[in-house]
Amino acid sequence: MNSMISVSNFYFNYLRSDLVLKNVNIEIEKGSFTVIIGPSGAGKTTLCKAMTGIVPFYSGGDYAGEIRVLGESTKGKKVSDLAMKVGLMLEDYESQLVSLTAGEEVAFSLLNHGFPPEEAEERTRLALEDVGLPGRESYQLDELSGGQRQRLALASLLAVHPEIIVLDEPVSAMDPDGGESLYKLLDKIHKEHGTTFIVVEHRLEFVLPYMTDLIAVKNGEIAAQGHCEDVVPQIYEDEELRPLLPDLWQVRSNLEKKTMHQFKLWRSADEAVKELQSKGFGRGVRA
Amino acid sequence: MKLNAFTWIIVTLAVTAWVFILPLEAVATILVLQLVLLLYFKRSKTMLAAIGGLAVFTGMMVLLQLLFGSPLDVSLFGGLRMLVMTLAFLCMLATTRIQSIAKALVDRFHLPVEYAFMLTAALRFVPNFLEDSSITLDAQSCRGYSNRGNALKRLLSYVVVIRPLVMRAVAKSETLALSMELRGFGANTYKNMPKEELTLTDFVVLVIVVVLSTYPFWKKFLPV
Repeated sequence: MNSMISVSNFYFNYLRSDLVLKNVNIEIEKGSFTVIIGPSGAGKTTLCKAMTGIVPFYSGGDYAGEIRVLGESTKGKKVSDLAMKVGLMLEDYESQLVSLTAGEEVAFSLLNHGFPPEEAEERTRLALEDVGLPGRESYQLDELSGGQRQRLALASLLAVHPEIIVLDEPVSAMDPDGGESLYKLLDKIHKEHGTTFIVVEHRLEFVLPYMTDLIAVKNGEIAAQGHCEDVVPQIYEDEELRPLLPDLWQVRSNLEKKTMHQFKLWRSADEAVKELQSKGFGRGVRA
Repeated sequence: MKLNAFTWIIVTLAVTAWVFILPLEAVATILVLQLVLLLYFKRSKTMLAAIGGLAVFTGMMVLLQLLFGSPLDVSLFGGLRMLVMTLAFLCMLATTRIQSIAKALVDRFHLPVEYAFMLTAALRFVPNFLEDSSITLDAQSCRGYSNRGNALKRLLSYVVVIRPLVMRAVAKSETLALSMELRGFGANTYKNMPKEELTLTDFVVLVIVVVLSTYPFWKKFLPV
């Protein structure tokens, strides 16, 4: 199965509100690292919640269309059962933590889903190792730093071995170093476990080296979607969405327009400098 | 000596009953035992502060009773009772994991999981609530909130801190509820946790509890 999540002709509004999502059609490929961008209030968080069944089956509201996760419709499924396949980390990850110690936190979902305590313990140990918190099972949550608590929230998702992980603005409250280190960790998990990632992100420079696909949401509709190479020119043409692209890609698109040259989709400033120099642009340019 | 959470709950409930049925000497002995136990298990600044706080509160209760005309001995015994009762809960919390208490309440006392979980959630969110209140206080101070004037004025002006604080708490509780739903919170939550069986020590303690709790029935057989 290549399509992990398939959203077809999906419309949604919360109770007593206007349409939040309009005619959404999305295919998330297996093993992809998809980033969702869009202006504030465009419907990104609602889209994430829709992919995990929270919208409309937990939040309430009216909907039309269908969402399939791993080939099965989300209709009639329990949100907690879907969460075993699609893990969701909300923007307010602190309030998502429900237990008193790191070990209990990671084991919470496993025990609720009937895993034997021995297996829950082993999975907890491995998940904490995966996120760089080995041996912290007995740590109280207030003994962990903000960044560590975020990793803990991630570990509690990883422990149930979901095939898809959705993260809503995971680095919005982090400093640049923390953001970079979290995305490095996500990339490691992405490569080692083959997990499909869907991330809502405003600061694309963090995720630039890792993302494979891009979805742009505008006023509840999908403005562009596909592999980064294919959709960046389309997003650049949209004046409202253009500022959401990282500077490097804006420069690239601008140069392409002005020089009629084609450039690779740069993933770092070094890569950009190397290619520009190889094509004879701006001698002496440094990253 | 490690007691099961079930035994601790029984002991705590029993102590709250004993303070009314046992003689003064026995209640005073329980107080001494409680203090020894607390200082043996958790000799930390926090624990000393908690005991000190309870002692101050007890002193205030004794004073209040005196002000309302109770005799000194009655006021002191009343204060002692209250102190012993509250220390019993402190002993339980200091020696037992809150998750174990919640599990025992669900498994053995058939308390609905939602209520048992409130114990954990309350303790989990106390530090967050304190942090939020400090942030809100700072934010409102920047907007002109001032904690000056008479008590009534201060109380009324504090509304500007309370309101956003409550809104934040409500928003967080919604996220928590969603998170619990996503993670399958329900009947299985405590059922699948590792079982904690009663040991010989638990049985010995439970027998002592039964003996002491039936004191009014067998005290007439004691030599005068």
